[in-house]
Amino acid sequence: MKLSDIVSAAGLSWYAEVALVLFMLAFVLVLWRVFKPSLKAKYERAARLPLDDEHCEPPRNGTV
Amino acid sequence: MSGPHTAPADAGHLDTFSYDDAIVRKFLWATMIWGLTGFLAGLIIALQMAYPAFNLAPWFSFGRLRPLHTNAVIFAFAGNAIFTGVYYSTQRLLKARMYSDALSRFHFWGWQAIIVAAALTLPLGFTQAKEYAELEWPIDIAIAIVWVVFAVNFFGTLVRRRERHIYVAIWFYIASIITVAILHIFNNLALPAGMLKSYSMYAGVQDALMQWWYGHNAVAFFLTTPFLGLMYYFMPKAAEGPVYSYRLSILHFWTLVFMYIWAGPHHLHYTALPEWASTLGMVFSVMLWAPSWGGMINGLLTLRGAWHKVAEDPVLKFMVVAITGYGMATLEGPTLSVKSVNALAHYTDWIIAHVHTGALSWNGFLTFGMIYWLAPRLFQTPLHSKRLANAHFWIASFGIILYVIAIYSAGVTQGLMWRAFDETGRLQYPDFVETVARLVPMYWMRVAGGSLYIVGMVLFIYNILKTWKKRPVTYAVPEIKAAPLARKYVAPAAPLPAPVPAGAWARFVNLTWHRPLERLPITFSVLTLLAVVVASLFEIIPTFLIRSNVPSIASVKPYTPLELAGRDLYIREGCFNCHSQMVRPLRHETERYGEYSKPGESVYEHPFLWGSRRIGPDLAREGGLKSDLWHVRHFEDPRAVNAQSIMPSYGHFVRNDLNFDGIQARVDAMAMLGVPYGDAINRAPELARTQAREVAASIVAQGGPQGLERKEVVAVIAYLQRLGKDIRVPAPNTVVTGGTRTGSGARP
Repeated sequence: MKLSDIVSAAGLSWYAEVALVLFMLAFVLVLWRVFKPSLKAKYERAARLPLDDEHCEPPRNGTV
Repeated sequence: MSGPHTAPADAGHLDTFSYDDAIVRKFLWATMIWGLTGFLAGLIIALQMAYPAFNLAPWFSFGRLRPLHTNAVIFAFAGNAIFTGVYYSTQRLLKARMYSDALSRFHFWGWQAIIVAAALTLPLGFTQAKEYAELEWPIDIAIAIVWVVFAVNFFGTLVRRRERHIYVAIWFYIASIITVAILHIFNNLALPAGMLKSYSMYAGVQDALMQWWYGHNAVAFFLTTPFLGLMYYFMPKAAEGPVYSYRLSILHFWTLVFMYIWAGPHHLHYTALPEWASTLGMVFSVMLWAPSWGGMINGLLTLRGAWHKVAEDPVLKFMVVAITGYGMATLEGPTLSVKSVNALAHYTDWIIAHVHTGALSWNGFLTFGMIYWLAPRLFQTPLHSKRLANAHFWIASFGIILYVIAIYSAGVTQGLMWRAFDETGRLQYPDFVETVARLVPMYWMRVAGGSLYIVGMVLFIYNILKTWKKRPVTYAVPEIKAAPLARKYVAPAAPLPAPVPAGAWARFVNLTWHRPLERLPITFSVLTLLAVVVASLFEIIPTFLIRSNVPSIASVKPYTPLELAGRDLYIREGCFNCHSQMVRPLRHETERYGEYSKPGESVYEHPFLWGSRRIGPDLAREGGLKSDLWHVRHFEDPRAVNAQSIMPSYGHFVRNDLNFDGIQARVDAMAMLGVPYGDAINRAPELARTQAREVAASIVAQGGPQGLERKEVVAVIAYLQRLGKDIRVPAPNTVVTGGTRTGSGARP
């Protein structure tokens, strides 16, 4: 018996639905994480990263 | 995780270091040199399509130079542009010098050596016949090594970074590095059959799926995500303000990474690929429109409050048009992926126009804008001339408009002509060459547009050279001071948000579990990898492992040794760049070419040669349509047989001797890939010589020249006469050049 026999017999028509659910979940997770109000300040600081890259920086140990 | 916040012992210590800008300057020069080279190669092949006499020699003909153009602009021009921007921005965003100067240099010189190898081997006819993956196996191995060196250098820098948060541009770089590695390795798995010859491990449908999984994602992860990273760094720099919405950029990142990898099968609509796969590709392609436009809007709105600067700053002008081009190409892409639109556009110049909208504006203009911004900083002197830069902008913009108008018109014209029926229900343009001759004026217009773009490029190089001449005797190397990252994450000492509540649920909703992910680029990378791999497997596993996807056809047999040799010559000359071998199940195609192509027909096709563009007619049912002598005359001078043809001459087929003894290694390699060659495994040259004598005899019998049995031409003819012969269907309702109709006209 070859691998292709097993997979052919497995009836994988539900494959697509599983993918849909998994990806929807992943998307909702990302959405939730991105728009969480408590992270707003963090993102605003991150957005400024390209702009303050030329000069000396204060210690960053304590910041996220 | 949420233990007491102890400050590290060395909190006050600052590292002193400098950025390596010498490597950025190297990549910048390479970008400009290879950009000009790649654009000129494009101009040459544009001229060859407008006027076939520009096919000056076998090594200087369209089929061999077209891959040179695509490889040069993608991997040499865009590749070096990416590296320029990545080496500049990564060091600054991470507050760290590149991990190793030696690795940076190895990356630079290795990449340039690969480009030179490509520029030598492609015109000489060494090709794997897979689009954007034409380079043969030794070069593929070199690419893998250089890419790994780049990855080690890049991830090493990440580990040594002095900035906790990894800016979104870096995310895009990480995704690109990982995905390009996977795509490159899996699409190029091949069995060598000589120093510069190999056969793809996959055959037919599977090879097609792998190729376009690769091909589409080469567009995604070489021409889109790295450039988006550059956009997210250089656009705020040029606009002197942060990106419009950082949150949108994160959403942009994850949605692109999740969706792009599925979209490949839209390159194979109505082919022998199983329909579920092409539908899946279509659905994901349409969904891609949303994140792409999210990214475009994010890029453009970064200019909020700074629009007045666009009028005077050439850098911003280039970037605005680049991002607009990204928006146009990513609206058009989903449109083209819809099957009914694709039925018209596929195999026509519409696709070429689509690609150039994206490449000339998005990749080209973003690179120009980035370099105009970088040059004064890297050469530490003001830009030589803003006026010249503005002239570059307007000339190149006008060039793009001329180019795309011409080629969109050509694509739609040809697509409509192919499917046109007259009032009696017959093909209105049964002679394929009519649909080509109509396009020649538009091909000249493309030459004009492309030339303008190159004029702009020359102004650009001149401007940057003049700037470089005014550089200081020695470059100032600013000292940067930044604190090293503590080995362990330390939460902010200053006002804490609400204290972290205890309990598993509380830790989950407060994302405490996610914090370690943020400081471990490795985990982030693994997540990205997972997104890409899972999506790939959902498409690839069923296609490879479910039998019903590729039903076998008992009458389909392997090519004879001589036919295989002919097929290799077809590959060497790049015939697949202009001729498809895939009849779609559409009425006008079955009328024109015959029975539509089945998946089971290409089970021995290592690699598949379905093609992606019909500059000449489809050849899937070519066998037996023309006499052997017709082919000899046609190769010697296509225009002697067909006055309007734009095909290059292949007189060298008639002059060159065929290497019969070399066929054995080819047959052996095919047999190792599982092609049932039986008897031929031991006596390929002998079988080939016998068949060659038969073909040569038939040419003589038809009134042709003597002595062709040792020449390459008999192998190519044997191959072409075999195409489509394995499935025994009633004589196709074909129209021979000149308009004579044969066949019954009754099609299922």
